[in-house]
Amino acid sequence: MAGDFDMQGMLDVYLFENSQLLERLQDIVLEQKDEECFDEDAINEIFRTMHTIKGSSGVMMFDEITKASHKLEDVFYYLRESKPTNVPHLELVEHVLQVADFITSEMMKIQDGGTPDGDAGEIVAAVDAFLTKIKSGDGEQEKNIKENVYVAPQQFYIAPMATSASHFFKIYLTFNPDVQLANIHAYKIVYSLKEIAEDLLHYPEDIVSDVNSEKEILDNGFKILLQAQCSEDKLHELIQVGYELQKVDIYECSASEFQKGFDSFGTEIRIAGEQPEGNQTEKTPEEQAIIQKQAQKPMAPGDFVIESKEVGKGKKLAKDKPKKQEKATFISVDVQKMDVLMDLIGELVIAESMVLQSSDLKVPGLSLENFNKSARQMSKISTELQNAIMSMRMMALTNTFQKMNRIVFDVSRKLGKDIEFEMIGDTTEVDKNVIEHIADPLMHLVRNSVDHGIEMPDERAAKGKTEKGKVTLKAKTESGKVWISVQDNGKGLNRDAIIAKARKQGLLDYYKPDSAYTDKEVYQFITLPGFSTKEQVTEYSGRGVGMDVVVSNIKAIGGTLEIESTPGQGSAMIMKIPLTLAIIDGIVMSVGKSSFVIETNAVQEFIGVKEDVFIKNPGGEEFVMIRGEAYPVVRVGELYQIDGYNPEAEEGMLIVVSVEDKKLCLFVDELVGKQEIVVKPIPEYIKKIKGLSGCTQLGDGSIALILDANGLVEYKS
Amino acid sequence: MSVQAETQQDTYVTFYSGNECFALEIKYVNEIIVYQEITQIPESEDYIKGLINLRGKIIPVMDVRIRFKQEPKEYTDRTCIVIVNVKGTVAGLIVDKVAEVVKITQEDILDPPTLGNEDKTQSRYVYGIGKVGDSVKLLLDPDKLLKDEDLSVAEQTNEENAEEGE
Repeated sequence: MAGDFDMQGMLDVYLFENSQLLERLQDIVLEQKDEECFDEDAINEIFRTMHTIKGSSGVMMFDEITKASHKLEDVFYYLRESKPTNVPHLELVEHVLQVADFITSEMMKIQDGGTPDGDAGEIVAAVDAFLTKIKSGDGEQEKNIKENVYVAPQQFYIAPMATSASHFFKIYLTFNPDVQLANIHAYKIVYSLKEIAEDLLHYPEDIVSDVNSEKEILDNGFKILLQAQCSEDKLHELIQVGYELQKVDIYECSASEFQKGFDSFGTEIRIAGEQPEGNQTEKTPEEQAIIQKQAQKPMAPGDFVIESKEVGKGKKLAKDKPKKQEKATFISVDVQKMDVLMDLIGELVIAESMVLQSSDLKVPGLSLENFNKSARQMSKISTELQNAIMSMRMMALTNTFQKMNRIVFDVSRKLGKDIEFEMIGDTTEVDKNVIEHIADPLMHLVRNSVDHGIEMPDERAAKGKTEKGKVTLKAKTESGKVWISVQDNGKGLNRDAIIAKARKQGLLDYYKPDSAYTDKEVYQFITLPGFSTKEQVTEYSGRGVGMDVVVSNIKAIGGTLEIESTPGQGSAMIMKIPLTLAIIDGIVMSVGKSSFVIETNAVQEFIGVKEDVFIKNPGGEEFVMIRGEAYPVVRVGELYQIDGYNPEAEEGMLIVVSVEDKKLCLFVDELVGKQEIVVKPIPEYIKKIKGLSGCTQLGDGSIALILDANGLVEYKS
Repeated sequence: MSVQAETQQDTYVTFYSGNECFALEIKYVNEIIVYQEITQIPESEDYIKGLINLRGKIIPVMDVRIRFKQEPKEYTDRTCIVIVNVKGTVAGLIVDKVAEVVKITQEDILDPPTLGNEDKTQSRYVYGIGKVGDSVKLLLDPDKLLKDEDLSVAEQTNEENAEEGE
């Protein structure tokens, strides 16, 4: 183990890697929770995850985590090897989640600087009992499995951090025949390679305790399969021909060859003569044939055809290999650095347009053919650069939604409800900051839906609904905001109960009849602090518990919460959150000298009109008649008192904007074009302006104000 | 850092707005840029001229002349924008021209006169008078300059905004 000086670094890596592994684990488990059983990939993945966690926790000496993960690993080892058919799947899912939760909570303690003092005993016992239970199903296999359990894991030397930068090598070492203790020399080499190795296999397998290995190495050489991020030269440096080594051969090979691991040795061995014994491989004969074919082709001449008495345990490792490449690797970056990068790219774009539109280029008769060609190339690259950095800050909501899946699963199981969880638009991308802020409110809303919204199965049946309830999590972007809704098909809100309560608390106007309040207004009451009290819970299914907290959280990031509900049909909570740094597709238009942008989605159509379509009512409000329908008009130039605004109807353009069901016409001077824009907030120093949701930088570096379709509609109505 | 703090001590950026020469402590000044196109912002105070794009950052700018109730003047190629950062708020100040960077020691700073023919609006933002040779610099409190103490006044002047904005 490393000395104290880099313990913190190790700890950080440990926490980071394991939390990612656990997250991935949960995803897999939840994805397949409704299936009959886990498929083979999932079993392998869970096994590997637990194995890695066990290994790293062992190194860090977090014994309880090691114990818990080891137990679960056993279970999955058994599942993988024996393929029992009678596994109670839901129970297994629960066990996996329990272990994952335990490890997560322990890791939280470590992260906060505490010691992981949780006791895994209970969980281990539970999982153990479960293992015994499923084993009793097909007991005859138990014995040979048990034996293998502890052996298999030890074959990972190094954390499997495969990246595309890795190279794969076959190393073949010939020792000087006079060397004493060749196996120890071999061990020394293996040891030195561990420093750089991402994965490493060698043959003979046991060079430390097996005395025969010395002879084997001297006679047939020592073979290493290495995966590392280094060059061949570096390896030559590490392993040098010298006193003990007669010959060093290093061949770079492909990843696929490497992944076959010692399979390639194995198949070669089979060709060489001896049949491998027992259940060394689970591969079907066809697969073996393929492997043999592949193995033969790229093999370095002769080197890897070896005789063998015992094929060793390379097999299992080889089987573990192929999946690793699929995992995306992540690094965490300080958000501030990203901001700096973002600004720099903004600068670059402006500088670029300054160069390309430089007045020096406007000399008549100048031949710019080559210049233009290069300029186009540069523009392309800078655009791509811009897109790349923007996409970096944006994260899909998938992870956040997946966590909700877990909550639905947990709460519904606890309450004995059967609930289907559906995600729509989970790939909607939102700024990282926003994601962090919505996780809590979202959890609250989902829990409310499951707990209070969805009825018990018998109740549902009595109402003629499907017994299985449904909670839908939906995300979309509209008018510069991301809308995240939690929808259930439960009983819905009880309007009368809310009104009664509101009356009691004096929230309603005494002279206004109940019916004068719209549903929307009524439902908003449940978000008021103190509105939800204990007795309230029983009165109308407890909606409102913690709702004020949810709302204040959403408001803190400039969002709103809307509540819709149909009695007996269910309700929907819709969070509308501004995208602080979202890229939206916008229509750029100009009024006077100013530019404005409006989100493309909100725009229904553009219409060129004549003066006579405008109608003014006695109140001074202006309307237009378009195809027999009257729309309210907002003259942007007038609204914001912009200089040089052109009121001539023939020269301007009408933009029909629709938000939900409401429609509105904007009258502007000119349409400029369509563009992807980055929403930036208007500096706080300037007070809030109605109808504007932000500003953005246009391609030429000038600033355009973003019109908030929603705000304008509200303002007008 | 300490070296920088030392060199910044008692150092002021001076600029002209109207006939007066004002001074801002250099620690508040991020940079000085030449006048660039300003995007109007509707419904804001008259002295807020709008937004500029400073290398990707959107920054509000105010016209110091209007802030001091001086006659507005057309912008020329001498017009500068002084970018200041006051407790995290970044803003641009449009000034007639930037004069120089001077040292004014504590001994040379006098309290602003409470009497006299100084315009009231200006004196609100001036916390001291600095003597440099024969000339006098008015030391500005940037915090007060940016902060809006009398919103009601600003509301009233909103009307003029439309006519003046250019």
